[in-house]
Amino acid sequence: MGAPNAAGDWSSEMEVDAFRRLFPLCYFERHLSESIRPDARPLKRARDTIVSLGAVASSDGSALAKIGSTTMLAAIKMEVMTPSVDSPDEGSIAVEFHMPPICSPVVRPGRPAEVAPVISKQLFDSLLSSGMIDLKELSLVKGKAAWMAYLDIYCLDADGALFDAALLSAVAAFSHLRIPVVSLNDEGRVVVVSKELEGEKLVKEPVNEERRKLSLNSIPFSLTCILHKNYILADPTFEEESIMETFITVVLNSSGQLVSLYKPGGPVLAHTSAIQECIALTKHRMKELQEIIDEAISIMEVD
Amino acid sequence: MEYVSPEGLRIDGRRPMEMRKLQAEIGVVAKADGSAVFEMGNTKVIAAVYGPREVQNRSQQLSDQALVRCEYSMANFSTGDRMRKPKGDRRSTEISLVIRQTMEACILTQLMPRSQIDIYVQVLQADGGTRSACINAATLALADAGIPMRDFVTSCSAGYLNSTPLLDLNYVEDSAGGPDVTVGILPKLDKVTLLQMDAKLPLDIFENVMQLAVEGCKAIADYIREVLSENTKQLEYRRGL
Repeated sequence: MGAPNAAGDWSSEMEVDAFRRLFPLCYFERHLSESIRPDARPLKRARDTIVSLGAVASSDGSALAKIGSTTMLAAIKMEVMTPSVDSPDEGSIAVEFHMPPICSPVVRPGRPAEVAPVISKQLFDSLLSSGMIDLKELSLVKGKAAWMAYLDIYCLDADGALFDAALLSAVAAFSHLRIPVVSLNDEGRVVVVSKELEGEKLVKEPVNEERRKLSLNSIPFSLTCILHKNYILADPTFEEESIMETFITVVLNSSGQLVSLYKPGGPVLAHTSAIQECIALTKHRMKELQEIIDEAISIMEVD
Repeated sequence: MEYVSPEGLRIDGRRPMEMRKLQAEIGVVAKADGSAVFEMGNTKVIAAVYGPREVQNRSQQLSDQALVRCEYSMANFSTGDRMRKPKGDRRSTEISLVIRQTMEACILTQLMPRSQIDIYVQVLQADGGTRSACINAATLALADAGIPMRDFVTSCSAGYLNSTPLLDLNYVEDSAGGPDVTVGILPKLDKVTLLQMDAKLPLDIFENVMQLAVEGCKAIADYIREVLSENTKQLEYRRGL
């Protein structure tokens, strides 16, 4: 990659696409100096976001979230299990984030993406520490039976800001979740009541209402920002992420409290002022995301 | 259990020779060179094609043709019970091989020597006929990627239950234990590239069932052609032609 001077000499002679490929950093800096990005967004704006609930009919709760081109499909399957001895009245959640080879040219079948387990762990930590889900709501019979919610998130298109889109799809899937109705059969085992058996008399019905929903308080929302020199770019695309490597992810909950802050190294060192600004950007983004999710839920409830 | 009622209706209300509702969309994965979503009833499959690109493993490079690779995997939530091992198990490896060999037959690999074409198929919802849906999705994705092909490959399954040949089995009918014939053809050339069957079937009935599946494949080919020409019209429109 040429130094800025060398690139400057070429830029007047070369096609834009070639310049973009050969001197990506210079290409971006030219845009940044005019406070704009190649896709015509201002530096602080996130891409168009769409959330759609109930994308997978065979699961208990599902959602499809798209931020720009980044697409995440999340689905939850509930299974009955015995709770652990130290928390007999709590259920549990298992989160897995998959990046199948369809999502990006850099993911190969033999070699799973490096970021996938990192994002899995981040998601799990954020969901649990935000207190969105009360594990006690997932309990069925104390000490004997509780729900295990398996959340699987598949990345269908990886175009930057993977964690943001994944968290959004996870939150949306949980708000779409309907816990199946169960009863205890004669041997004391928990059995899922299928639609045909609803007419029969049930021995015991631990779940009183039909298809119960989880009460979600303090929903987490996140925003990833890239730090480059003294610029802060919100919601990076894959191209931006690969050129400017320092990013910071802020997760806030709906009451404005800080749930998590993640800056995994990187060549740029951030002042506290930069971090404050990222948190402010996340607050602003949180309002947008909240509206989008509320709208998606109300559309679903109309059906 | 009765799979075909006396009035001639199947469990989901279809007639024996009726296919499930088809729905396809191209260009769904922005990062891929070509991609498609293909739905046959409740079976939903997404395919992405990357290529022709540089061969990642130099030792496998072919000097006179392109290398075609395929990976089939099912999402954990695609079936009724959550799957523990969605890929790497024997069934997925077998289907990956089948799809690769089927598509290899129709791609003009000699035009792209020393390169690699990757076809990735992900099953999002499985309700019978996943193999066929994957092949149809892969055909659309290859067309979207602009990879030169001899002809489309379309695939459909057919079975024989309650003494009736049935077209396009869903999961319940497939697990009934009767024969399941999957056929893949090149519709314009009228040639069979894939033919798989399990369970016993007398030869004359087999001919009927296979013919039914071939008719199904031709109907799918018409639909695919429609989808692609609609897509081309949109592209022309956007270019102002």
